[in-house]
Amino acid sequence: MNYRLSTLFGLGASAILTVLILVGSRNLQNFDSALFGYTVASVIAFGALIFRYALWLQRPATRTYWKRGWQIYLKREKFVQNTGIAAKTFAGNILAQSFILKRGFKRWLMHFLIMWGCIISAMITFPLVFGWVHFELEGDIGYRAYLFGFPLQLMQGRSITAWLTFHALDITAIMVLVGCGIAIHRRLHDRGAIALQQFLLDFVPHLMLIAISVSGLMLTASSLWFDGYMYHFIALTHQATVIMTLFYLPFGKLFHIVQRPASLGVELYRKRSPEMQQAECPRCRTEFSAQIWVDDLNKVIEKLGFDYTLPDGTKLQDHCPQCKRIMRGISYANLPDVNEPVFLGVRAEESKEEVQTKDNV
Amino acid sequence: MKETMFIDPQRCIGCRSCVAACRECSTHKGYSMIFVDNIDRRESTATMPTVCMHCVEPTCALVCPADAIKVSEDGVVMSALKPRCLDCRNCVNACPFGVPKYNTEMHLQMKCDMCFDRTSEGLKPMCASVCPTGAISFGSYEQIVPLRRTKPVNAHTFGEQSVETNVYLMLPTDAENVEVDGCGVFEGRIAVDEESDGQESWMDELAGETNKSNEF
Ligand code: HEM
Ligand code: HEM
Ligand code: SF4
Ligand code: SF4
Repeated sequence: MNYRLSTLFGLGASAILTVLILVGSRNLQNFDSALFGYTVASVIAFGALIFRYALWLQRPATRTYWKRGWQIYLKREKFVQNTGIAAKTFAGNILAQSFILKRGFKRWLMHFLIMWGCIISAMITFPLVFGWVHFELEGDIGYRAYLFGFPLQLMQGRSITAWLTFHALDITAIMVLVGCGIAIHRRLHDRGAIALQQFLLDFVPHLMLIAISVSGLMLTASSLWFDGYMYHFIALTHQATVIMTLFYLPFGKLFHIVQRPASLGVELYRKRSPEMQQAECPRCRTEFSAQIWVDDLNKVIEKLGFDYTLPDGTKLQDHCPQCKRIMRGISYANLPDVNEPVFLGVRAEESKEEVQTKDNV
Repeated sequence: MKETMFIDPQRCIGCRSCVAACRECSTHKGYSMIFVDNIDRRESTATMPTVCMHCVEPTCALVCPADAIKVSEDGVVMSALKPRCLDCRNCVNACPFGVPKYNTEMHLQMKCDMCFDRTSEGLKPMCASVCPTGAISFGSYEQIVPLRRTKPVNAHTFGEQSVETNVYLMLPTDAENVEVDGCGVFEGRIAVDEESDGQESWMDELAGETNKSNEF
């Protein structure tokens, strides 16, 4: 593992985000200094996330897939078609996540609510925190939003759009709460999940998301109905839980948010495979994958320090999974000397002669 | 790993009770993760049951680009973590024993995890609890040795590569490991028929075996 390279990437990412914040908020002119804590935490967490991503890309298998995925995507003759495939995969697997639906409806609903709740919240809060978006009151009519300091359309104060805009975070908070509720319910009742789960890996993410959402909703409640009672304290709690979650991102279960888009590359590789030269299992002659895929895998296995070369020069992994099992079965079946008493299922105490006579029968 | 599996293919009668029982496991409900393969259907009724051998240095986990395959504290190699697995099939084709399965629609790998939901509560794995012949047993090394004439061994050699596993295979007393060094011919063969190359029987389909590439 090359930690130095990953560290450089991480620091670079933090630096770029800092510059973007400076530029996007017009030199901090639109920046709300009360949100300084959030900003610093975001910059550090972003660097850590990129650091972790760069480390992850150094795994031999990940690197191979990463390179091959881009190579296949950027093929000039197929570029347009590839973009189409990738866009379709993006819609199905990342936006709608139909593959989780195949794993189960409750799972899908849970994830859909958590994921969209979090993504929409992030799309609202980060630009506000970084000063990329801010609102200005215009007389009695309503608000005007500014993006990177450029004015957008005027919004009527009492319109549905305005209501939705200012309550979007309440809606997403409820989505996240329902999603996490389903997830925790499942984790407390599903035997398989109970056996496999660990508190730190499987419950902590949900508990943190719940803490964020509840504290957020309490902010709204405080300002709407309780005249800002304890507002400052609740805001600090919200900030603390958000920052903890941001720091948890690169290391825990939530790392899949940045890792998962790699499935676009894997999927493209799969879709393009049938056009490539196919690898044939040397034993049963079934075509089971693309040849370059098998070659890539063999290279990865070699890089990891394994040597599965067989005496006939092929690699074990050139064979289809079923033949690998049968080859081992045959080697096992050929092990015993047929004259050994144990092979005939006879107690060793019995004499060799007896065995011989049985053999003749 | 104090208690583990002991596989004695010689005792396997190909009844596939284990295949059916495996579907009941809570960690992969409805899908069987165990294999029972006929080693040479035309020449012999011999079958080979294959479960995950829980390698000490699991090839499957090392080739996973998503780092999705984790090993438990006492050496059980787990199914892929559900949020991570990209269904890339590296593990499926890298495993020297041909164990992991995948599903294209779910974008998911699953494999034998020694019935983690059961063994972590002191129960036997599904397959071991139903096997009528003791071809699949579960227990400690000390328990199994006095019961059998065969010897538990946890070493395989695939060509140049030796693989140490947490699951044992019961071998004749004079054998030290299983050497897989090619496609192999079953020595019990009576006639070698050049024409038909390993045709499958309708029985294989009846028994609900997976396709050759391990899709479940
Ligand atoms: C799961 C994700 C999140 C949910 C559900 C959520 C929810 C909420 C809600 C409901 C409010 C109250 C809004 C109002 O009173 O009008 C709020 C306020 C706020 N949130 Fe979040 N939030 C989330 C994530 C974040 C993140 C990632 C950040 C920062 C990067 C953030 C920063 C803020 C800020 C700065 C406020 C204003 C509170 C203040 O006055 O200090 N939130 N949030
Ligand atoms: C803000 C974005 C996201 C958040 C907060 C999030 C959160 C979570 C959480 C908390 C879990 C664990 C659920 C459990 O207890 O089992 C989970 C599982 C999962 N996530 Fe995400 N996720 C996000 C984005 C994504 C994306 C973009 C993908 C990929 C398309 C994805 C794929 C998955 C998968 C496959 C699982 C496993 C579901 C299962 O148990 O079958 N997630 N996610
Ligand atoms: S037998 Fe295969 S699936 Fe099981 S641990 Fe070893 S490499 Fe992994
Ligand atoms: S199929 Fe899933 S578990 Fe297997 S190597 Fe690929 S990402 Fe890892």
